[in-house]
Amino acid sequence: MEENEDVPKDFIKLKSEKLSVDEVSELVVSPYCGAVSLFIGTTRNNFEGKKVIHLEYEAYTSMAETEIKKICRDVRQKWPSVKHIAVHHRLGVVPITEASVIIAVSSPHRAESLEAVMYCINTLKASVPIWKKEIYEDEYSWKENKECFWANS
Amino acid sequence: QVSVLYFARSAELAGLRCETLSVPREITSLQLWEEIVKVHPRLALIRDQVIFAVRQEYVLLGDQLLVLQPGDEVAIIPPISGG
Repeated sequence: MEENEDVPKDFIKLKSEKLSVDEVSELVVSPYCGAVSLFIGTTRNNFEGKKVIHLEYEAYTSMAETEIKKICRDVRQKWPSVKHIAVHHRLGVVPITEASVIIAVSSPHRAESLEAVMYCINTLKASVPIWKKEIYEDEYSWKENKECFWANS
Repeated sequence: QVSVLYFARSAELAGLRCETLSVPREITSLQLWEEIVKVHPRLALIRDQVIFAVRQEYVLLGDQLLVLQPGDEVAIIPPISGG
C-alpha cells in the first residue's frame, strides 16, 4: 500500500461547468474510511412567490479558495479523524435543480464526517466571498446570506 | 497605488470590476471608503452593507488603520451569498 494513501487532502475547485456528485465523492473515498458524507446545494425555482429562472454566481476567486482552505484547516482541528475534504462550487449560470455547491468529507466513522459537512456549508455561507444573483422573469436580486456577519446591520 | 476590485452590486454601481487608485500609504478603512466614493459616488448607496478585503483579509469600515503597499489588492465586499 502506498504511503501517501494516509495523507489527508483538501480538494477545492471553483468552476463554471456542471458539478458532479460522483466526481466529488470519489475524490474523498478512502480505504481507511467507513463514511463519506455529502451536502449538495441545489437551485430552487421560486423565492417569495417569484419564479426563479436561474442563478448566477461570481467570486473573488483567489480569496474564496483561501477562505475555503481555512475552513478545511478548522475542520481538521475540530475533527482530527477526518480524512479527505472536497468543496466544489459552481460559478456563472446555474440552471434550476442543478447543484451550485457539493461538499464531501470522509472519516473512519460517520459522526465526524456528518458534523464536518454541516460545519463546512455553514461556515462557507458566513465567510467565503462568493455572490449569488437570482434572476426572475422581470428583475433580479443579489442575495445575502443571513450568516454574513456584516450585513443586516 | 492599490488595485481596487469590485464585486456583485458594487461592480454594478461603480460600472467596473477593477482599477488602480492612488491613496495615502497609511489611511483608515473609513477614509479609504471615502476616497473610493469620491470616484464612484453611487457606491454610497451600499455603504452600510459592505466591508473591505485588504490583502485578502476582511476589514470593517471604520477606524482601523491600514498600512498599504504599492500593488496591494483592496476588494469591496458586499454581503455574501455563496453556497
